[in-house]
Amino acid sequence: MYVGRDMLAAVPEERRDDYLRLVEEISDLKYQLGVEVARQLPRMFTEHDDAAIDRYLGQVRAIAVIGWKSGVEVAKQLPDLYHAPDPSIADAYVEIVTDATMGAPDDEETLAFTSELTELERQLREIEPKQQRAQEIKSLLAARDRRDERRRKHAQELAAALPPILARLRPRHREVYLREVRLVAAADPEAALEAANTMLDLLNGERVSHDGAAEWTRRGLDVLEKNREVGRGYFRIGSKFSLEVLEELREGLALRQVARVLKLYATALSGRDVAVRGIDEMSSVDRFGPDHIILPDDMRFFEDDDRNFTAYKVAAAHGAARIEFGTYRFQLTDVPDAIEQLMERYGSKLA
Amino acid sequence: MAVETQRMEDFRLEAEPYYLPLGNEVELFEAAYKARLPVMLKGPTGCGKTRFVEYMSWKLERILVTVGCHEDLTASDLVGKYTLRGDETVWQDGPLTTAVKAGGIAYLDEVVEARKDTTVVIHPLTDDRRILPLEKKGEVVRAPEDFMLVISYNPGYQSVLKDLKHSTKQRFVALDFDYPEPEAEATILMSESGIDKETATKLVKIAEKVRNLRTHGLEEGVSTRLLVYAGQLMEGGVEPITACEATICKPITDDLEMQRSILELVATQF
Repeated sequence: MYVGRDMLAAVPEERRDDYLRLVEEISDLKYQLGVEVARQLPRMFTEHDDAAIDRYLGQVRAIAVIGWKSGVEVAKQLPDLYHAPDPSIADAYVEIVTDATMGAPDDEETLAFTSELTELERQLREIEPKQQRAQEIKSLLAARDRRDERRRKHAQELAAALPPILARLRPRHREVYLREVRLVAAADPEAALEAANTMLDLLNGERVSHDGAAEWTRRGLDVLEKNREVGRGYFRIGSKFSLEVLEELREGLALRQVARVLKLYATALSGRDVAVRGIDEMSSVDRFGPDHIILPDDMRFFEDDDRNFTAYKVAAAHGAARIEFGTYRFQLTDVPDAIEQLMERYGSKLA
Repeated sequence: MAVETQRMEDFRLEAEPYYLPLGNEVELFEAAYKARLPVMLKGPTGCGKTRFVEYMSWKLERILVTVGCHEDLTASDLVGKYTLRGDETVWQDGPLTTAVKAGGIAYLDEVVEARKDTTVVIHPLTDDRRILPLEKKGEVVRAPEDFMLVISYNPGYQSVLKDLKHSTKQRFVALDFDYPEPEAEATILMSESGIDKETATKLVKIAEKVRNLRTHGLEEGVSTRLLVYAGQLMEGGVEPITACEATICKPITDDLEMQRSILELVATQF
C-alpha cells in the first residue's frame, strides 16, 4: 500500500482511519489500483458523502476484478464523471468499460479460465508455506550430505591407514585394539584415525593395560560427544585432559618394556643365556629353571619408573646369581662329597 | 738420500712400547723372525696386536712400516708407482717396498679388508723366494735376511666376502690373541692410563660381564683399548659412569637396549 503524505493531509482528520483502511483493502486487489484510489479518495471525502464513496469503490473494484488496468483508469476518471450534469453518465461509463474489458458476455470459456486461474492461485498461495518448508528441508539434507561426505573421506583415510598399523600391533593386543578403535570409528572416523595411532603406541608400549585402554577410549568418547574438535584432540593426546587420564591409568613399569634390557643384564652378569619370563608363564615352566628368571609382569613398588626399574634389576641380579651359582642344584646326596672337597680345601680350619 | 734416511728414522721406535706378554707369543715371534717366516696375528679388535708388533719391532731393533688395509688399497699403493715430480716422472716406493729394502718389519693391519688381488702381491715375499717383484718398474727386490712380513686380521669379521684366501693363510705362522686375563688386563690398565688398582679391577669386571654378551647381540666385547680410554678419561677427571658410557657403552653398539644394559653393569661397579 502506498499513501503520500500530501494525500493523507488532504483527508479530514476524523476520516483518516477510514481512508487508510479503504486504501489498504483496495490495494489488496492490486498495488497500482491502491495508489490511484489513494490519490482520488481525499477529494471524494471532501466532495461526497459515504454512499458516493461506497459507490465509487464498488464500481472500481468491479472493473478491477476483470481487468486491473481498466480499473486503474476508471478509478482516475470516475470522480470527475460524478460531477457531470447527467448523473447517469458515470454509470454508463462504467458499463461501457466493463463490457469492453470483459468482452462478449457469452464468452464463458474465458470466465471459466478466470475462475480456474483464481482457484489455482488460491491453491498456490496455500502451498507457499509448504514450498518454504521443503526448501528448508533440502538445505538441512544438503548440510547433512556434506557432513557425510567428510565422514566418508575420513573413513577412506582410516581404511588406508589401518593395515600398516595393524601390522605393527602385537598380536596379544589385537582384540582390545580392534574393539576400541571400532567404537571410536563408529562415532567419528577422523577421531578414529587419531585413536588408531595413539592406541597402537599405548598398547605396544605397554603404557596402559587392556582395561586401561578401554577406559581411556570411554572417556574420549564422552569428550567427543560434547565437542568433535576437542574429542579429536583427546585421541591424539593433544589435550591436557587426555594426558591426565593417561597418567591416572598408568600401572607401574611393565616387564615387557624392560624385559630385553633385564635379559641382557642377567646374561652379562651370569655368563649364561638367561631368559626373562613373566609370572603368567610360571605355571608352564620350572620356577627355578637353570635358564630363566621369572619376574612380575609389572613393577609398582614405587611412584617413578626409575626406581621400579631398579627393583626389577635387583630381582634379575638375584635370579642371575641363582643361575650362575646353582643355588637350587644342591642335593642332600651331594653332602658327603661336598664335605670331602671342603676338607681338602680348608683342612683343619673346617673342623 | 737425506730424505730417504729421514723416512727410515721415522719408522724406528725410539722408546720401548709397553707390552705385557700374555703367553709365549714373544718367543714364537722371535723364533719366526730367526727362521725368516711371516707371521699372522689373529684376534679381536683392541686386544693388543698392533702394540705387540711395535714391541717386537723395538725388541728386534727393526724399523716398523705399518699399512692400514682398506678395500681401495691397490697393489701399487703397496709396492710403489711412478709419480710426477716437477717435469720428471720418478718412481716412488710404496710402504711394502720401503720395508723390504730397509730390512724392517712390514705390518699389514686388517689385511682382510684389502682386495684379494692386492694380497696376492705379498705371496712371493712369504715363501722361500722372499722377493718383491716391482712389475711396473721391471725390477725384483730381494728381501734381506732381517726383513719380516706380519699381517693381522680379526676372525670375528670374517664373512663370505671378507676372508683371507687359503693360499694366503697357509703361508703364515699364526699367533692367536685374545683379551688378557683379568689380573693382566688390570695391570695393563694401570700402566696405560694411570688409574689405581681398585678402579682397574672394576673396569676389568665390567669388561668381563660385557664380553658375556658377545653371542647375544654384540659383535665383539669391549676391548682392552677401550678400557684404557675409560681409565684415561677418569684420570682426566671425568666421572666414572660418564667415562664408561662414552668409551664402553656407546662405541660398541648402537642398540639402545644393549647400551642401557651395559650401563646398568657399569652402575653395579661405580
